[in-house]
Amino acid sequence: MSRELLMPRLSKVAMLIVLFGLLPALLAWLDKGYLYQVVTVTLIFALLAGSLHLITGVAGLLHLGHAAFYGIGAYIAALLGSDYGIGFTIGLPLAGLGAALIAFIVALPTMRLVSIYFAVATLGIGQMVHLVLQNWVEVTKGPNGVLLFSGIDLFGFTIDDAIGTYFVVAAIVSLSIWVIHRLSHSYYGNALRSLREDDQCADAIGINTTRLKMEVFTIASFFAGIAGALWAYTTQYVSPADFDFAESILILAMVVVGGLGSLPGAIIGAVLLILLPEVLRGVGDIRNIIVGGVMFASILFLPKGLFGEVSALNFVRRQLDSAWRDAPQKRKVGWK
Amino acid sequence: MLEIRDVSRHFGGLKAVDAVSTSVNQGELVGLIGPNGAGKTTLFNLISGFTPVTSGEIRYKGQTISGLKPFAIASLGLSRTFQNLRVFPNMTVFDNVSVGAVGAIGQSAFQAVFAGSKRANRISERTWEALERVNLADQANDLAANLAYGKRKYLEIGRALAMQPDLLILDEPAAGLNDSETADLSRFIEELHGEGLTIMLVEHDMTLVMRICQRVVVLASGQKIADAEPAIVRRDPQVLEAYLGVDE
Repeated sequence: MSRELLMPRLSKVAMLIVLFGLLPALLAWLDKGYLYQVVTVTLIFALLAGSLHLITGVAGLLHLGHAAFYGIGAYIAALLGSDYGIGFTIGLPLAGLGAALIAFIVALPTMRLVSIYFAVATLGIGQMVHLVLQNWVEVTKGPNGVLLFSGIDLFGFTIDDAIGTYFVVAAIVSLSIWVIHRLSHSYYGNALRSLREDDQCADAIGINTTRLKMEVFTIASFFAGIAGALWAYTTQYVSPADFDFAESILILAMVVVGGLGSLPGAIIGAVLLILLPEVLRGVGDIRNIIVGGVMFASILFLPKGLFGEVSALNFVRRQLDSAWRDAPQKRKVGWK
Repeated sequence: MLEIRDVSRHFGGLKAVDAVSTSVNQGELVGLIGPNGAGKTTLFNLISGFTPVTSGEIRYKGQTISGLKPFAIASLGLSRTFQNLRVFPNMTVFDNVSVGAVGAIGQSAFQAVFAGSKRANRISERTWEALERVNLADQANDLAANLAYGKRKYLEIGRALAMQPDLLILDEPAAGLNDSETADLSRFIEELHGEGLTIMLVEHDMTLVMRICQRVVVLASGQKIADAEPAIVRRDPQVLEAYLGVDE
């Protein structure tokens, strides 16, 4: 096999080995509940950042309320489990679909708004959902939150050990990120990028801009809902405070620090902004200042992000073999 | 192919386009000229759906298109470029042109994720064809923002060509180009026309229009004042008056 074909395969295999071999082996060896929790939260936020990357990074819509759809997914999963005894197998897809449905309804009037007006509208949606979770006590149980006693119940098999839970979360997050990868690294993704660059111009060459914006908002919210359900099933407790404005901003910061328009960047941003505060736990309260300083410095010195869009797209084309196969003179252009 | 019937566009009291009727036949190369503020770009915006008509009707291939959204008009095979050069700056040259191919061929979210590469290959091939047509294949992987101004003009035309339109409308293609670049561009437009593409262009550069267009439509203050071959239009007293302000 030529090097041209071998390298991309090696990169993909290496990622799978790390995620499903080395990392769980390390976790099992260290055997600390706290570490499992940190890794799970990192995976959930990688999915949240990946989904927001579609809306804000690729389609260029500044979304300030992503945590709302994360929260909707979490509450659907938690309430279905605690009140109706509906477990993971059905609860997880329903959480995603519920978040997507509400996103679709919300998107109908908001998608005609542009730039800052869209941002303010999504800010309002985020606040609205947060207040509903907090104050609609009969349904959401208000500020007390919802306790979920059943863990992950996959097609009748109960998974209650930490390593099993890790594998389920890692598998779902990987599959979701693979879908997001296909959406952003394809001609569909190019059409989304054209909305960010100049949507009037895209309109003039046959791109249905309003429909595309609705689609990307709904799809990304579906994955935010899935992330929320994973949060609910793994922590077994959800409360309104987990889905407030600060959470939306944290996800946005991951996308921006990693690199707007770059999926690998969004994932790196999520890993950095979840792990850094944990690593710095030893230094006390000053850690928040350090985290802020790191964000500030990264934007100052790397305004295009830790892994900017141009290099990320080249990386995906070369290392993951996503480029057009029959490109003349073996150039890595286009998408497969 | 394109029929414009009694089309008007009023902005408040201003009649930007006032009861204009004209047509473009299959295979023609038509120029649209007129002094500043004559309503040329407004007429283009009416044709491409960016501005709704106040009254009148525009038909394309026998179908009424006034009232349709721009993307729907574009999908019928009517592609346009913009006066002030609009490319997607943070995308590569190839990716820019690919959006035109996506606009014509289409790729849904579902197809992007689950379908094989058949449709993507069609988009890729068509993109490459358009890139070669505008001589930008060597710079396929450069960012559009890094191209020279003149090349970006070709990029914008290439993106429109990737739709494989039947009618291409160009809004001031020679704006900002020097004489030799304008000459190259007019040769290129003539070549496209020679390959069977119907073209309508708005232009300030009278010599370019007079040299390459088969028919010239002249607008002044929103009204059509001439519609004939360049040689006739050149001697039309009304046109001379509109351009030179001659008072007889």
